[in-house]
Amino acid sequence: MQVTLQTLVGGLSLGAIYALIAVGFSVVYRTMGLVNFAHADVAMIGAYACSTFYLTSHVPFAAAIVISIVVTGIIGLIIERVLRPLENKDFDLMLIGTIGFGTVLQAAATLIWGTTGRAMPSPITSGPLEIMGIRIRTYDLMVIAITAVSVVLLTLFLQRTKPGAAMQAVAMDHEAATAVGIHVGRSNALAFAIGAGIAALAGSLAGPMLYVDATLGGALGVKGFAAAMLGGFGSIPGAVVGGLAIGVLDSYAGDHFQGYSVLVTFLVFTAAIMIRPTGIFGERTVSRA
Amino acid sequence: MRARTRGTLSVPAAALGVLLAASACSAPGDSSSDDAGSSGPIKIAVVDAQSGQLASLGDWEAKGAKLAVKEWNKKGGINGRKIKLTVFDDQGDPTTGTNIARKLDSGNYVAMIGTAESAVTVAMAPILKQAEIPNITSGQATALVDVKSPFLFLNGPTSTTYDSTLADYLVATKKFKKIAMISNNGSYGKGEHDAFTAALKKAGITPVTDQVVTTDQKDFSASLSRIRQSKPDAIFLGSEEVEAGLIVKQARDLGITAPFAGAAPQGTPVFIETAGAKNAENTIVSSPYLSNEISDASRAFATAYKAEYGKDAELHGAKAYDGTNIMLTALKNSGMATGKKLADEIRATKYQGLLGDFAYDETGVGIFKTTIGIIKDGKLSAAQ
Repeated sequence: MQVTLQTLVGGLSLGAIYALIAVGFSVVYRTMGLVNFAHADVAMIGAYACSTFYLTSHVPFAAAIVISIVVTGIIGLIIERVLRPLENKDFDLMLIGTIGFGTVLQAAATLIWGTTGRAMPSPITSGPLEIMGIRIRTYDLMVIAITAVSVVLLTLFLQRTKPGAAMQAVAMDHEAATAVGIHVGRSNALAFAIGAGIAALAGSLAGPMLYVDATLGGALGVKGFAAAMLGGFGSIPGAVVGGLAIGVLDSYAGDHFQGYSVLVTFLVFTAAIMIRPTGIFGERTVSRA
Repeated sequence: MRARTRGTLSVPAAALGVLLAASACSAPGDSSSDDAGSSGPIKIAVVDAQSGQLASLGDWEAKGAKLAVKEWNKKGGINGRKIKLTVFDDQGDPTTGTNIARKLDSGNYVAMIGTAESAVTVAMAPILKQAEIPNITSGQATALVDVKSPFLFLNGPTSTTYDSTLADYLVATKKFKKIAMISNNGSYGKGEHDAFTAALKKAGITPVTDQVVTTDQKDFSASLSRIRQSKPDAIFLGSEEVEAGLIVKQARDLGITAPFAGAAPQGTPVFIETAGAKNAENTIVSSPYLSNEISDASRAFATAYKAEYGKDAELHGAKAYDGTNIMLTALKNSGMATGKKLADEIRATKYQGLLGDFAYDETGVGIFKTTIGIIKDGKLSAAQ
């Protein structure tokens, strides 16, 4: 029982990170119908940026996160700007473009920060809480709380604000949106910037739990992508549920199947997707091309 | 839509190719020159991961090799010829490695230093054997010996040496009875797992729990909870630097206080940094190169290393430095022999290195001893 609960706690904390990655994927997808394959590498850049300001410039952790969100937000805007001429023209090229951007970001990270990564010490020094023999890291609690708050804020933004509503409108019918005076390019740029910012948040929060190096994106991306698929691509609540589910599933698979856990995780994932191809919260898919 | 894009797809494909070429691949060695025999610089390749997850290992090894070559070149090279070192990026990937092996053959490279990854070295071995290019690797898996290539040499001990020394220390010296194990299912972890299990069995001990994780696992709660329940005296750790560091960090958060014990990766700064110095305290390490303060030679090496790279030297750099020196000594002693003759000369070379006294046997192993160190105050030092 103790092992079971401890495994759950471990799975949930990493699951929160996967959820954030999945939310970022979904924000771009629901607006543009585009899977941004550079997304996880943006998260990696965010983690590096955060670690640089936190470790080298000794900025407080929270401020370092904000700076890294700004940095990646700009990267998001650049990616969108480069891809914009292709919007509604060549969808495959856009996809390949995002893959190319991911590769470029990895190479840039190696150039800037070198091949050896860096370990980030936890910004919270207080020890773990102990409840009935289960130990919960205070940092994990913070990660889960930040994830929850940012998802709520994002949802409010999409539903209650004008730019958010515009993004929703573009997602539904970009031609009609253009007709009523919504600037589709600007709306897409905003989606990309928000997605990249959330990626940086995920990367920054993952830093002290994992190890920051140029391959961090690979580790987060596959699980984050799977989480978005499982929840229903494009759905924000789906991304959250999918992320937590993948995290917990992974954790339990590690316990019962040890060295074969990756195989088992993705077999279960595949089975779930076969039963429900649109994911748990599957909406109609956005397809612009 | 597909029909519409087919015409234009070659453009993005080409663009992507350019991007990949610009970012991921290192410059290939020039294959035109035909100077292996008599004149011009002597071409030696360093093959290691310079990108990807094992890049830090590759970086250390390349640094050690470069330092050795620089020192030789300063002294005038070999027989008046300079040594030219070219670094190839194998990305830690066996397939990329085999491609590079073919490149070395066509590029007339005399010898190869690397790789730090046993799996890549094993994959490259048959091609290098056919091309008769001697190779000194930093790998330590027993699989390297099983390849039985007369052109393959190790610059350090095998896992068997590391782990029998470790098991002996834990069981005979420390009198530990309850030993837990956690290792990954990668080529390094699997090798360590098997070597340590065999060594424990010889000492008459069965591990209290034997947990296997994957190489890219990030959360170890389940395995560590089971280890905690088994209340071990020590925990064997068969995993590379970063993952081992994460395991130790999470173990301490779960309230596990038993010391960890492992081999080469557990002596590195990356491990200590990832785990956190406080968490890594008392880790027992079996290593042929405990610190830069062990001998005059290691102090001199560490000073030169620091002056060159501004960083502290560590085991992998020292191993590659030894291996490169052995290679160059053999080249010099044989009067610039290549192929089979060079390999025989390496086997005959007795060399006093940073790791100990090298004397190669038929299997390509030249060092058969490690010492036990303990991490104290964030630094590895000899066990008392």
